[in-house]
Amino acid sequence: MGLNVIIVGAGEVGYHLADRLSLEGHKITIIDRDEEKIKRIERYLNVMAIRGSGASAKILEQAGIKETDLFVAVTNSDEINLIACLLAKEYGVPRKIARVRSEDYLTSGSPLNEQKLGLDLIINPARVLAEEIVRLSEISEATDWAEFARGRVILLGYQIREGCPLTGLSLAALRDLRSLYDFLVVAIVRGGTTIIPSGSDVIQVGDKIFLITKKKDIPAIEYLLGFTSKTPSRVFIIGGGQVGSLVARQMEAKKIEVFLVEKDKARCEELAEEFKHTVVLHLDGLEAQELLKEGIDRADLVIAVTDSDTVNILSALLAKHHGARKGIVRIDRPDFIPLLSPLGIDVALSPRLLAANQILRFVRRGQILSVATFLGSEAEVVEMVVPDTPYFREAKRLQELPFPKGAIVGAIYRAGEVIIPKGETELHPGDDLIIFVQREALPKIEKLFGP
Amino acid sequence: MRLGTVLYLLGWFLLFFALALLVPLIVDLWFDENRSWVYFLSAGISAGSGALLVAALEPEEEIGYREGFAVVVFAWLAAGVFGALPYIFNGYLGFVDAFFESVSGFTTTGSTVFASLENLPKALHFWRAFTQWLGGMGIIILSLAVLPLLGIGGMQLYQAEMPGPTKDKLTPRIQDTARILWGVYLFFTILEVLLLLAGGLNLYEAFCHAFTTLATGGFSTRTASIAGFHSAYIDYVVTFFMFMAGVNFTLHYRFLRGDFSVYFRNEEFRFYLLVGSLGVAICLLFNFVSQTYTHWLTNLRYSLFQVWSIMTTTGYGTADFDRWHPICRLLLLILMVFGGMAGSTGGGIKQVRLLIFFKFIRLQFRKLIHPRAVEIIRYDGEKVPSDVTEAILGYMALYLLVFLGASLLVTAQGLDLITAISAVCATLNNIGPGLAKVGPTQHFGWLPNFSKLILTFCMLAGRLELYTVAILFSPGYWRDLRLPVFRFKRPD
Repeated sequence: MGLNVIIVGAGEVGYHLADRLSLEGHKITIIDRDEEKIKRIERYLNVMAIRGSGASAKILEQAGIKETDLFVAVTNSDEINLIACLLAKEYGVPRKIARVRSEDYLTSGSPLNEQKLGLDLIINPARVLAEEIVRLSEISEATDWAEFARGRVILLGYQIREGCPLTGLSLAALRDLRSLYDFLVVAIVRGGTTIIPSGSDVIQVGDKIFLITKKKDIPAIEYLLGFTSKTPSRVFIIGGGQVGSLVARQMEAKKIEVFLVEKDKARCEELAEEFKHTVVLHLDGLEAQELLKEGIDRADLVIAVTDSDTVNILSALLAKHHGARKGIVRIDRPDFIPLLSPLGIDVALSPRLLAANQILRFVRRGQILSVATFLGSEAEVVEMVVPDTPYFREAKRLQELPFPKGAIVGAIYRAGEVIIPKGETELHPGDDLIIFVQREALPKIEKLFGP
Repeated sequence: MRLGTVLYLLGWFLLFFALALLVPLIVDLWFDENRSWVYFLSAGISAGSGALLVAALEPEEEIGYREGFAVVVFAWLAAGVFGALPYIFNGYLGFVDAFFESVSGFTTTGSTVFASLENLPKALHFWRAFTQWLGGMGIIILSLAVLPLLGIGGMQLYQAEMPGPTKDKLTPRIQDTARILWGVYLFFTILEVLLLLAGGLNLYEAFCHAFTTLATGGFSTRTASIAGFHSAYIDYVVTFFMFMAGVNFTLHYRFLRGDFSVYFRNEEFRFYLLVGSLGVAICLLFNFVSQTYTHWLTNLRYSLFQVWSIMTTTGYGTADFDRWHPICRLLLLILMVFGGMAGSTGGGIKQVRLLIFFKFIRLQFRKLIHPRAVEIIRYDGEKVPSDVTEAILGYMALYLLVFLGASLLVTAQGLDLITAISAVCATLNNIGPGLAKVGPTQHFGWLPNFSKLILTFCMLAGRLELYTVAILFSPGYWRDLRLPVFRFKRPD
């Protein structure tokens, strides 16, 4: 049965979480002070919405905190989130998650740390975003990236452009290449909709394809598919806030040449003090002439992470227009995401959605080992273990299973070995499956592999 | 508006509805009436049409706010049409009459076209009562409770079938709320069956009447309605359950969970009780003055029963109130408009809307006296947001418009004023009997077909609280219509 969940804060993170968790059958109560947000939730989501403060014991009792299994505090205020979680601790809620921005609460020596506060997970959207950016910058052409089975299996997303050798090939034709390299195209995103492909589907310009492969085969696959792969050597970061400096710090540690662009003079001075090798530029991200003089046209990667979506989008577009190879953009309004891929922006990341996804990953801990969710597509990847039930005790072939529409097994991880499956591959209890699935089909998959 | 999604869901609804059409078979077989083919054929037609829609159409995305209205209205129309089949196949009624009777059932109106009920087969009686029971708590809400399919977009469907001005969700998931409401509804139905059995009714009649009481429907197996039992005990039991059916079912649930003061803490409940009691008091007084009933206990029995029967929009009869003092007749006509509480099975405008409406009038007076004063409307101790007040005022205006329009169309057929107006009032508020030629001892069978259709529309509009139906008549709703996508395409 579904969990009883209380979410405090109906902003982007709270809304997204409530939407996803309620679709999976959990019982959600969401609390916010803003009447408009409550109305929006009541209109569109199948959850209980209560207007009031999440740091009020009376409201929490009204929300049924005594029977709650999971408590999530994701308002914009660190203090409200922490107080709400402390209250939840007093009511004996077993699992608590708080969104905390301030570094003061996060450093390990801090007098108020995770253990003291009784939190199971602290989410800092800026950190999550910085980690994702660094990870994506390692694989130069991939727009999406997720790792499974302790890093042995990788799922990659690629944008198909004019001149790509895959254009016009059917998946059946691609499959013939598989005798050489193990990979499987598990989804195609075309015009905003996700297709779980069959052999007759043909790859077209403008598609985004998701393929699953072994980590060791990545260079070969990228070569085969005409995607070049190399670590960037020259990176421009637009926006020297928390995210920008976190990314710059990690890139600097990797001996990458980093240019950090920030328009606030005082902040520039702080940054200059912090970094030894990074060049801190006192510029606006839209001053193209100045940036060109600094060599943004020869950058391998432009990362735009200011607080303004429009500045991020425009500065990345300008840089790419002048010749920068790849752009990663921070977006706070998810509404813009579908616009970006046709405009030529390679990766758009929303810190709020990333934070929500990290919480989802935590909630589903258990049978599902890890989850990655992709922006702009309704599909996600889940990792599941074949249970030791009588049904699975006699070996089942993949093609015999009552697999729901909109789901495909991308890889099997068994006793230290990775298998990219075919229809006749057999499943055994204890196998780790990596399943690509459309949101609606997820409950069916959970049922199929449930205990 | 994605017509494909709407029709696809309608297909599933018809498959589900076919099961309901099989229920009267139990009665048919029990009493050896040898008409089981009627129900098999009706269920077959419903299931066949449903299967056709489900097989042919590709559902697109989840249903949105707009689709919700269309699904609910189409489902209710379909219930009316396919629910009419047993009347037609049994050979008693033509299409218009059968459709009227069927919609009157599902909307828990209780107006009938049958002049005499005693010669109908028992299974058909059972079907009449069963349609009211299904419609009482809501067929869509029942589907939500039992069909996992409607999980996505269930919110939209729930709001379209149970619009009400107050939101009282009991649980985070709408499916759980639907299950609880149907559970409480079932509990009260069984309770009434037991109490009616204790009063000497047989099992079949006990079920038929419990179904139509809890639904505030009013269909009876006897032409004389509840009066046919000649029992004060039955009258009081039925009065009690009509009263309970007019109360918000979420209050019942909270009461059953041990919160015993929940009824009197609720402002709408206090108002409901007050209006009903005032009605009873006036009827008692004038029935005494006009010497209609000589014994005070007889007077109490009939006045109590009739006032609650009319105000909860049940429409059972124990007395011919059309022969009462004129003020009582008009009073009953006014009480028809009040209806039950929001979240009850009763129809009408709903107590809470009138309560807030009266508070709004009082507010206007205060504003005239203190032009600079800042005043709010309070309900149940909390401020009523101005958009809720506006929605209620809009509702009243639309109600008046539909009421006048329908009355005009019915009088155009040459009916006398009292008959026409009371017929519209009785159907729009889902009561059943009106006054004069559609009074408690009369029936609707003699009306011209056009009037029957107008009244059928009133029943549906009243049950779905006007806006859900009215929205389908606004051109803006259909402007971005997307035609269905068929599964089987011609090969290119």
